[in-house]
Amino acid sequence: MSWRIALGALALLAAGCASTSGPTTQPPASSHEVSPAELGAAIKTDADRSEHETDAQVRNDLAAQADQSAQSCLALAPQSVACLYGNAISLGLQARAHPTRASEFLGRMLDVLSKAETADATYDEAGPARVRALVLVRAPGWPLGPGDADAGLAAARRAVALRPQYPPNLLALAESLAKTGDATGAHDFYLRARDAAVALPATTDRDGWLREADQGLRK
Amino acid sequence: MSSLLTAAIATLIFCAPGYPGAAGDAQPFVDQFASAAAASAGWPAGSLAAVYDPTEAGGLTRLASPEAVLAFVPYPFFVEHASQLHLTPLAQADVTGTGPTERWTLVARAGRPAGPQSLNGYTILSVAGYSPTFVRQSALGAWALPANVRVESTGQILSALRRVASGEPVVALLDQTQAAALPTLPFAGQLTSVLQSAPFPVAILAVVDSRLTPARARALQSGLLKMRRSGDADMLGSLHLQGFVVPQLPDTKTAQ
Repeated sequence: MSWRIALGALALLAAGCASTSGPTTQPPASSHEVSPAELGAAIKTDADRSEHETDAQVRNDLAAQADQSAQSCLALAPQSVACLYGNAISLGLQARAHPTRASEFLGRMLDVLSKAETADATYDEAGPARVRALVLVRAPGWPLGPGDADAGLAAARRAVALRPQYPPNLLALAESLAKTGDATGAHDFYLRARDAAVALPATTDRDGWLREADQGLRK
Repeated sequence: MSSLLTAAIATLIFCAPGYPGAAGDAQPFVDQFASAAAASAGWPAGSLAAVYDPTEAGGLTRLASPEAVLAFVPYPFFVEHASQLHLTPLAQADVTGTGPTERWTLVARAGRPAGPQSLNGYTILSVAGYSPTFVRQSALGAWALPANVRVESTGQILSALRRVASGEPVVALLDQTQAAALPTLPFAGQLTSVLQSAPFPVAILAVVDSRLTPARARALQSGLLKMRRSGDADMLGSLHLQGFVVPQLPDTKTAQ
């Protein structure tokens, strides 16, 4: 059966995957004045703003701005993990902004995340593997989209192996385990994520991780 | 007055177990559909609401409530629950890229013997696995399955096919879209199609428990059938639909 409600799912997952806890710098005025790290940070800022934005036009603008930053970054340093990772995040924003092409953007996002993971798997607390896991777990699966729960689980395990105390990695692994049918394992990692978050200083991010862990534990 | 208005609102329940999409994601699309269908039927604006539930249990709960007047469900769901919910078909979905009907394909590991007895002790995995009646009596009705064959629902068909290819005692029952994409899998050579079903409707829009008067039902049916020609193509496209046709349900005994 092909009638389905997939586009919205693709669009929204892209936003969730793109969400990061990076610095909140303003977008750079000119790529000639900034470093790849600053451009990467600008993309993260766009992603954070897009996640909370309800106006479709503003989301489109943020996606276009992030894409511009990503292209400038790649022009400066095509192998830089900051640029590759930023490019992946910008593709996620574009998937959300253009739901009819979401599958295409998410496919490219996965390709770029592979390159980012090869360049520096520890970047953004094992971000390339973590974001990859979330895309694979949340996207519609074959043949409708790039989703692949088994591969998502493997990616989440890699993220946890690299940064075992970072709550988003534990949450990604819990979600992957739940998606692949391991309810007990999922519960265990939601608990671990909660414990890891509680041990951190209070921040908005920590509150969000705790909420997500609690929601997972209630399932 | 407001209670009278509330009472006049019919609710359409979309339910597609095993397919992607969460309720919140889908709501804008089903809202648009409800508005367009009501307009096409000549119903007052706002008189048709729609809700999407991606789970079988959730869909059944919603359909049991008195507010649920219409159901838009995959054909396997219809087969499994039409009697219990007193569903009366109103229209049959004409799906983009598939049409109003589809064939289901049973896929096994390449090289193993084909035939119903070869499934002794096996598990059939399918997105339609929530409907053992559909799997056993419709899609695989041509085979007399051994009594110990199990039927399981899965939304992870790729994982299911990997299990088939690896030699686990499982087979996968694929819908037409999945079967058509089989050659794209890197391990397609380890799989083989052993049975294809007769064509069955893809999805049915039905009246629940006669909760719609015959006159309103006729108006809605007429409206649904003309939607493809009335400028609703973009809205239908967002649901992967081309339009609707008059329902033609197969006789289970003669569909094989």
